[in-house]
Amino acid sequence: MKLKEIRKHIDKIDRELLVLLQERMGLALRSRKFKETTTDPDREEDVLARIERMNLDLVERSFSRQLLKTIIEESKRQQEEERPLVAFQGEHGAYGEVAARGLVPGGAYIPCMEFADVFRGVEEGSLDLGVVPVENSLEGAVTQVNDLLTSTELKVIGEAKVPVNHCLLATEATDYREIRLVYSHPQALAQCRGFLMRNHLEPRPYYDTAGAAKMLARENPNAAAAIASELSAELYNLEIIKRGIEDSPANRTRFLLLSRNDYEGVGDKTSIIFVTPHKAGSLFSILHLFAEAGINLTRIASMPLRSEPDNYSFFLDFEGTENDPSVSEVLNKMEEMTVTMKYLGSYPAANGDKVEG
Amino acid sequence: MKNLKLASRDQKKRTIVNVGGVEVGRGLVVIAGPCSVESEKQTIETAHAVKAAGADMMRGGAFKPRTSPYAFQGLGLEGLKILEKAREETGLPIVTEVIDPRDVSWVAEFADILQIGTRNMQNYALLKEVGKSGRPVLLKRGMYSTLSEWLNCAEYILSEGNPDVILCERGIRTFESYTRNTLDLSAVPAIKELTHLPIIIDPTHSTGRLSLIGPMSIASVAAGADGLIIEVHNKPEEALCDAAQALTPEMFTGIMSQVRPLQSFLENSMPAMS
Repeated sequence: MKLKEIRKHIDKIDRELLVLLQERMGLALRSRKFKETTTDPDREEDVLARIERMNLDLVERSFSRQLLKTIIEESKRQQEEERPLVAFQGEHGAYGEVAARGLVPGGAYIPCMEFADVFRGVEEGSLDLGVVPVENSLEGAVTQVNDLLTSTELKVIGEAKVPVNHCLLATEATDYREIRLVYSHPQALAQCRGFLMRNHLEPRPYYDTAGAAKMLARENPNAAAAIASELSAELYNLEIIKRGIEDSPANRTRFLLLSRNDYEGVGDKTSIIFVTPHKAGSLFSILHLFAEAGINLTRIASMPLRSEPDNYSFFLDFEGTENDPSVSEVLNKMEEMTVTMKYLGSYPAANGDKVEG
Repeated sequence: MKNLKLASRDQKKRTIVNVGGVEVGRGLVVIAGPCSVESEKQTIETAHAVKAAGADMMRGGAFKPRTSPYAFQGLGLEGLKILEKAREETGLPIVTEVIDPRDVSWVAEFADILQIGTRNMQNYALLKEVGKSGRPVLLKRGMYSTLSEWLNCAEYILSEGNPDVILCERGIRTFESYTRNTLDLSAVPAIKELTHLPIIIDPTHSTGRLSLIGPMSIASVAAGADGLIIEVHNKPEEALCDAAQALTPEMFTGIMSQVRPLQSFLENSMPAMS
């Protein structure tokens, strides 16, 4: 191997070490929820001893012990900060994390594989808050999340509207003229179809936008780029070749902030889910209540019931809270007119495009 | 001129090229900015200065075709990103040169008009590529080229399905050495007889002398040019390229205060040239 090649490998390993370290820190923060204190000498000694039993010729035992001790110290320091653990779906750098950072500044952002993991983690108390997307301005409702909302005990305590600002990212070493393959989530690739065609780039589906960015940073494949958020570029030290490459600039995703407890302050917006009896005019008469009370609806969506495919649950967001007499009167009347009725929570409305993508 | 199926004057209305609301071919369009994008600060400052002076578009090179391979070659992609930022801040459409067919689609993502420089006027591979780019093209006259050769190059772009070609006279080589080139102002009325495409004048490269830029700008407007493209630098003494011919924003403002009234006077006192 020539020096240049050797250095390329070293750089790659350094990036992988850091990505793995970030994963370890996230797990350490999560483990805190199961422990009385941050110190656990038995466990520490166990971890260090196990590492020492690995007899790697080029990594001296005393060195590996020292290295791991430093990492454990840093984990403990972070555990003591007691930042709220905010879960999102996807890899670090996902648009869910962009939303989470806007909604809960100063949190520790924890990636989850599935939306269900976000819900379960917060429900069980191993995570403090969850951030999930409910709908996208181009693609419509996120059905998995809406489905989970119908059965969860969690409360909605906030919302964010995140502009989806797709960026073409590549490693520093990549010449933009040599890019041929572009990795990203199929939805992001579809949203940038025009850009990819104009520049003769071949789309390669990947499980996640930020996951594609992470893969580039770790593996640095030849002639490859990724479509992901600006945050991903920052997290994985990738170069932004072009910002805003989506075909339709008006692309926003609305996220909800979930908690085990109700919103503590006075919100200005409320979300509910209800099921009406299967007879003529039942939905109309409920909407009529809102119209008569002069309550402005901000979202209405329907989803087939899992248990009863011919019937639907309705998602309703409206301005105002239970504290308003007109709202509580409507909600009381609704109790009698619906088969099920679920109050998701009242919370502050997102104002415009404050959260940057 | 027999082969000019699309560029010739025959039974054609004058072409007006719409660039983000700015119409080239109607009134006087002024494009100004530095020779090269050198830094974000220099570019954004110059963009604000030329906008304040009344320019309609911003110019700036990210890829520089230089006589010497050792001279500053431009910032490349970084320069394109800076130009994009200048447009975001000022709203001025961006004109920038492209010199490599491999760069055309990328430059088209950032710029509003693709410029083909004098040295590349007859680079037919490049002309075909910009013809497919979907962006208006500013085609500079080759410094050794006849009007016929020039229009045949425009024909290359038009024949790829791109109707938006703006011609730019930037001086030709003669035996005169006092000026950098000789500005062929007769090209303006001649081109208007030969083609429906708009023509603008580059008084900077054609003269290469600061003192001549103002008078030649006035003469260009009087001859009926559809626009001017002028080099302006926020600090000409620090310019990395063609420092001796860049106007200060103050000098540029002075020229603007003369050419705009002259253009309105001519427009109101003469029957519209068709």
